[in-house]
Amino acid sequence: MNLAVRLRSIPSWQVTLGIALLALGFLIAAQLASEGPRIRYTTQERPPLVETAEDLQARQEELKTRILELRAQISEREGRTTGSQELVRELDQALGTARVAAGLIPLAGTGLVVRLDDSPDPIAAGTSESDYLVSAADLRAVVEELWLVGAEAIAVNGERITTTTAIIDIGPSILVNSAYLAPPFQVTALGAQDLYDRLTSSEGYLDFVQARVATFGLQVSYAELEQVEIPAFAGTVSLRHAQVVGDGPAASAPAGGG
Amino acid sequence: MRSRRSQLTVTVVAFVLGMLLVAQARSQTTDPGLAALSAQDLTVLIANLDTRNEQLRSEVSTLERELAELADADARGDSSVDAIREDLARVRAWAGLEPVSGGGVRLLIDGPIDGATAEYLLNELRNAGAEALAVGGIRVVPGVVVAGPAGALTVDGRALADPFEIEAIGAPEILTGSLTRIGGPIAQLAATNPDVLVSVSPVDQMGLPASDRDLVPANGRPTL
Repeated sequence: MNLAVRLRSIPSWQVTLGIALLALGFLIAAQLASEGPRIRYTTQERPPLVETAEDLQARQEELKTRILELRAQISEREGRTTGSQELVRELDQALGTARVAAGLIPLAGTGLVVRLDDSPDPIAAGTSESDYLVSAADLRAVVEELWLVGAEAIAVNGERITTTTAIIDIGPSILVNSAYLAPPFQVTALGAQDLYDRLTSSEGYLDFVQARVATFGLQVSYAELEQVEIPAFAGTVSLRHAQVVGDGPAASAPAGGG
Repeated sequence: MRSRRSQLTVTVVAFVLGMLLVAQARSQTTDPGLAALSAQDLTVLIANLDTRNEQLRSEVSTLERELAELADADARGDSSVDAIREDLARVRAWAGLEPVSGGGVRLLIDGPIDGATAEYLLNELRNAGAEALAVGGIRVVPGVVVAGPAGALTVDGRALADPFEIEAIGAPEILTGSLTRIGGPIAQLAATNPDVLVSVSPVDQMGLPASDRDLVPANGRPTL
């Protein structure tokens, strides 16, 4: 009996069942893969909490967008204020430079992206599950090493690192500025073209790689780019407790504070 | 009989397939990170998001007021030079380009501490709302890192003495509470580095210098 005849002799329900079982296999594999190394909880109180957290995140996005819009409108109005032409021009220029220095303006330029993700390795005896997850301390270590090798501006998953940025653990996840971030984490750094070479030859960074990548299998990858984009900080720059000493900067304050 | 059995098998497989498809679709739409959080972690996250959203709302109000003042001055035909000067002072102070003063806390760190631990303390202070920080008299701004092994610390590339001070401007009671809480950073430090002594003192008024770094990137250009 040749092959064509044999194939024709297979009942159609068997073919259907075969295809369905194949799809089932794929779906089970996909489901298991999406579980990932991080734990999933299924307690009854979770759904409303997840919903509240999602609502708060959505609200936060709206507030950040509003802040950026208002800053752009203020900047535009300040640029066309009346008064002594010379003074207004100087003030406007100083303000523009101060905003760049403060991280309130998005930037583009050469740079590096360091991508960090949880370890796929099985948990070895004597270690804990958290050792295999990217922690706030890991992100801080990478950010600090990037600063030390000359990065000029850094963002983590779109959150600009500023003078007031804290990176903290919340359970197995991470809060940067006011945003809750989940892995994988993309640390984008603006800097000179040799930033990657400098980072990967720095002793402190090599220690980090040894301790976290070599030992626990955290996944790290790099992209050296002609153009990285660093977003503006969309958070609060109001000072409640700190006051400027003296009368503050003169109109002709040196730009950039150098 | 055989045909009915085969139909039943196909039905069961199709049912399981459908269930899995729905489960997969749901797991794709829910934030994968939130799925990793326990009820307790979610509660902490919600509290954090709520506090930070409140700060963002306050920032929106401040900016709306500022914009309204500029618009009023514009409508009256007045100059907005004073408002711009005020905005400039605020941004420069926040960025670390101007000296600032205010209440806060002073930490004296005595003993062999490494750079990562010092940075951990700075991170805790930022998380507790510190508005300006200095280490060994050097203002901490983006790019300034306390680095090195215990006994050979540097800040912004300059050697740091032992003992040294960390100064933070912010609400003294919140900053102190955050550092000294049970199981907090200082308790953890005492457990892991028993040779290091950290004392925290609330301060009514202190001054922090401006940074001498040039914070305008040489390799980046503004995209606005």
